[in-house]
Amino acid sequence: MTNTTAQDRVGLQLEPIDAAALAAHVRGPEDGAIVTFDGFVRNHSHGRATKFLEYEAYEGMAVAKMNEIIEHLHEKYAIHRVAMIHRLGHLEVGETSIFIAVSAAHRGEAFDACRYAIDTLKKTVPIWKKEFFEDGAVWADGELPPAPPGAKSAS
Amino acid sequence: MRDVAPMIRVKVLFFGRLRELLGKSEDYAELAGGESLASLFESYTRRYPQLAGFRSSLVASRNQEFAAWDTQLDAGDEIAFLPPVSGG
Repeated sequence: MTNTTAQDRVGLQLEPIDAAALAAHVRGPEDGAIVTFDGFVRNHSHGRATKFLEYEAYEGMAVAKMNEIIEHLHEKYAIHRVAMIHRLGHLEVGETSIFIAVSAAHRGEAFDACRYAIDTLKKTVPIWKKEFFEDGAVWADGELPPAPPGAKSAS
Repeated sequence: MRDVAPMIRVKVLFFGRLRELLGKSEDYAELAGGESLASLFESYTRRYPQLAGFRSSLVASRNQEFAAWDTQLDAGDEIAFLPPVSGG
C-alpha cells in the first residue's frame, strides 16, 4: 500500500526497503542536507536473543497517519521532501523495518523533522511488532496512542 | 435524532494480540444506532470473556481516526480496538 505525492513518498511494503533509492528520491538541487533514520531489527530484546520479527498494520489507517505526520513536517519545518516507508511481515535480524529520509536546505530543520517523524510514528501509527525468540514469542510493549477527549461526537 | 434507534451494522477489526485472543481479524456487529464504542466493546467482552480488563490498554478508532469511548456509532462504520502500537 503506497501513496506517492508529487514529492513525498509514504507507504507500507512486504519487500525489503531500498534505503538508497529513498534517499535519492528526496534529494534535490535546492537542498543542502538529507537526514535519514534507518530503524532495523536488533538481535536482542529484554535480554533475550531475537530470532526474527513480524510486523502487522491497520494498513489504511497507518498510511493515513503517516501522511498526517508528513503534512505536519511540512507545516512545522523548513524542509523539502520526505520519504517514510515501513516494512511489514517477516523481518530477519539486521533488516530495515522503518526508513525515513528528509531533505532540506539546512541540516538543522532536517534533523529536527526526522526526529519528530520517527518519534511520532512510534506513538501514533497503528503498526504492531511480534518478537520471536528461541522459546516463544511476545507482542512488543508499545505506546497507547492518545485518544481524543470524550466529547460526544454523534453524526 | 430518531425516536427509535434502528439496528445498525458496523465492521470491527482486530489487530495484534487482540486478533490472536479472539482468533479473528474482522467481524460484523449489529447494535442499536447511537450506541457508543464503549458499549460495543462491552458486547465483545460478554462474548469473549478473555477481553475483560483489556479496555484500559486499548484505544478505539472509528473510520480510521482515533475516537473517544463515548463516540456514537453509525451504520457502516469501520471500528477497530487497537492495542498499544509498536511500529518503528
